[in-house]
Amino acid sequence: MQWMRMLAFAAGAFCAALMVATPPVAAQQRGGTMVIALSGEPSALVGFLHTDTGGHSIAANIFSGLVGLNEDFEPVPELARSWEISKDGLTYTFHLDPNARFHDGVPVTAEDVAFTFNDVVAKYHPSRGSWWPNVESATAEDEHTFVMKLKKPFPPLLTLLAYQLRSGAEILPKHIYEGSDPMTNPANEHPIGSGAFKFVEWSKGSHVVLERNDDYFMEGKPYLDRLIFQFIPDPNTRILAFERGEVDFIDYTAVPHNEVARLAKDPRFKLLTGADAIAVQGMWLLNVRKGPLAKNEVRQALSYAIDVNEISDKALFGAGRPAHSFLNSNLKWAFNGSYDVYDRDVEKANELLDEAGYPRGDNGIRFTINILWAAGRPYDGKSAEIIRDQLRDVGVTADVKTYDRPTFIEKVFDQWDFDTAMQLYSTGPDPAISVVTRYHTKQINHSPFTNAMGYSNPELDKIFDEDASEVNEEKRKENWDEAQKILMQDLPAIPVFEFPDGHLANARLMDAVTGPYGYFQSRHNAWFKD
Amino acid sequence: MVEATSKANGGDAVATDVAAAGKARAKRGIRFRYARYVARRLLQAVPIIVVIVLINFTLIQAAPGDPVYALIGQMETTPEYIAQVREEFGLDEPLPQQFLSYIAKIATFDLGYSFRFRQDVSGLIFERVPATFLLMGTALVISSLLGIGLGVIAGRRPFGWTDNAATIFALAGFSMPVFWLGQLVLLVFALKLPWFPVQGMVSLRAPSHGWGYIASVLHHLVLPATVYGIYHLTLIFRMTRIKMMDVLVQDFITTARSKGAGERRVLFVHALPNAILPVITVIGYNFGFMLAGSVLVETVFGWPGLGRLMYEAINARDYPLLLGLFVVISLFVIIANVLTDIIYALIDPRILYR
Repeated sequence: MQWMRMLAFAAGAFCAALMVATPPVAAQQRGGTMVIALSGEPSALVGFLHTDTGGHSIAANIFSGLVGLNEDFEPVPELARSWEISKDGLTYTFHLDPNARFHDGVPVTAEDVAFTFNDVVAKYHPSRGSWWPNVESATAEDEHTFVMKLKKPFPPLLTLLAYQLRSGAEILPKHIYEGSDPMTNPANEHPIGSGAFKFVEWSKGSHVVLERNDDYFMEGKPYLDRLIFQFIPDPNTRILAFERGEVDFIDYTAVPHNEVARLAKDPRFKLLTGADAIAVQGMWLLNVRKGPLAKNEVRQALSYAIDVNEISDKALFGAGRPAHSFLNSNLKWAFNGSYDVYDRDVEKANELLDEAGYPRGDNGIRFTINILWAAGRPYDGKSAEIIRDQLRDVGVTADVKTYDRPTFIEKVFDQWDFDTAMQLYSTGPDPAISVVTRYHTKQINHSPFTNAMGYSNPELDKIFDEDASEVNEEKRKENWDEAQKILMQDLPAIPVFEFPDGHLANARLMDAVTGPYGYFQSRHNAWFKD
Repeated sequence: MVEATSKANGGDAVATDVAAAGKARAKRGIRFRYARYVARRLLQAVPIIVVIVLINFTLIQAAPGDPVYALIGQMETTPEYIAQVREEFGLDEPLPQQFLSYIAKIATFDLGYSFRFRQDVSGLIFERVPATFLLMGTALVISSLLGIGLGVIAGRRPFGWTDNAATIFALAGFSMPVFWLGQLVLLVFALKLPWFPVQGMVSLRAPSHGWGYIASVLHHLVLPATVYGIYHLTLIFRMTRIKMMDVLVQDFITTARSKGAGERRVLFVHALPNAILPVITVIGYNFGFMLAGSVLVETVFGWPGLGRLMYEAINARDYPLLLGLFVVISLFVIIANVLTDIIYALIDPRILYR
């Protein structure tokens, strides 16, 4: 028997040697539950009812879109395995993945896609007004071919469809919604999609649970068994829960920035950064309708008077970057920071203000403005306070006022009852989608997050309008170069900081962020390392 | 029963029978009085609730901030969409009409539809009631037991070191804002010493059932209930202490002591029942404060109850939900007051309700 034991030993030793010699295969491990903290409870899970990022961070796992985006902001297949664009840029033909099924087992067809756009998005989605009117038709050509025809070419269409929060392009099951009022369909509470995770429960006030979809059309995925989204409104509690290990992931909007540096050093955690397609900027909006701010020299003087380096450093605890243009530097192909000539120069600012006809009074003050900011966004409050301090050097007094969010939106965007205001503006993933809506004359319309500043420049409007249907990429780059130049001269707002895009995650959590929508992407690639 | 007794006891039976009948009649009379009293108090609640709704409706409408802007999310939208949302939730109707239709709905026990959660208000509220009652109930028990216990100890030797220590503890608990004390407790007992979870009502990562579920809920309950209990014990403590000081110098206590009753018996059998009445009032009164103040404790500890629902409703300007919460909380406070009155009469037989 001894020879058998020796043989067994030799075989064992051989296997062990093999294991040492062969490098480990980087295989994703299966199983585990990822807990994601959200700062508030979403109003709905289905995308057509809202543009709430928290809701979408859940919905992106339940529903699939036609296309996604890669880290270079280029469209990649999702439900559509491939697509063609006609030479005139008017017809988009999508070929759907024949393996895709809804969570109730019914196959996803082009009929579902056409229904989603024609019967739901076109009628109910909050952002439809900015792009749907340009759609001529959306039809199912056969079971797996969907065709969208445009009235005028719109090159960022695929980018927009991949930005499902903005386009509402999360494909819904026609057999569930047809013949009902989509707004009140019970499936809104128990959503059925074709995404990587299936809906299990929504415990109001507490959490949402999703579980692995074994029939997901991307083979072998997802790796996690469950996703839990927990609503933790208090930022301190959220960060304590993260440190305690109750939570694995906090997206960049829900991370208290004063904690980032400390936690990123802790080996139990990591900071996930990457190409962020939302590309959010902290903007200081200037109401150009009345008073001193109606003069361009005054706006330029204010830009010289403030130091964006100090603001972004102090207001975001070193986590952000100073902004140098109306586009975020994440939009590499279009960004041009060279038009920012406004390094802090108090002398120049004083000169400009004198020239504009606002000399200092006996008390040394030229005029007073207000700076509004919305409670719940401490970086905006801090920025406003630093701006107030810096403006003192040029004889401008600022009255910093804070309002709760609905009141802030009402005052700034509906009533235009403000001098200046702090507001985050997304500038991505394509400026034709997110920047035009802020500064085009057409966008002076009392709606949230549009042109509340009352700024109008026909030359810029013309560039915007031409660019919307420009197919040539070089020409588009020129367009946006010119647009940034004009905006940095006219200054309807002053770009202050680029919002930090680092998400805090459990160090064992791998591939949680694999695209430019790390904030609310589907977690089908995520897995836990032992 | 009566027949059997009269056979066994002969002549005395008749007298016993009459006495028993009298007692039963008296009991029925007291019960009837209670029922009448409770019914009257609940009926009185109706105009109170109408006034509460009117005041709150006006206040909410007077506050700036349009609910539509809380609803749309973070992306830009169009004026047409805003008009569509206003119409969907009846926000485009004139205010008096909105108020009348709300009152009409309440009369049929319909609390309306929450536009923040797109769900019936009553369903939303009653889903959260158990969580809040569990937290409030536990905190109320902790604050009552600790408050009365400390009050008895402190009142026994006023201005002695035990009294001073208890007073400092109670005042410190009351002076610290709940959210601050909560954060401190979390830092120590959840993070530095990882004995308790930070937030939530049950462990979500490791789902459990049956006894495991109950154990998980209790584990999550310890910190918020203790913090909230400590915050609310001060009034109970102060009232018990002062009443004990009053009672302990009275003649019947001296008599009890001279009869040889032990100190514990003197305190808890003779003194405390005579000192407790105003304490009961304070406890009943605390209940209302606890419900109203649950916003802070539930937000700090991520407890999924009515307080957090109110927090979200305020943030979202969800008028129907906010009004619904006010109505339900007012009802609970009224019921708590009625219960306090009844407990009053049970403890002190001299009190009769008419």
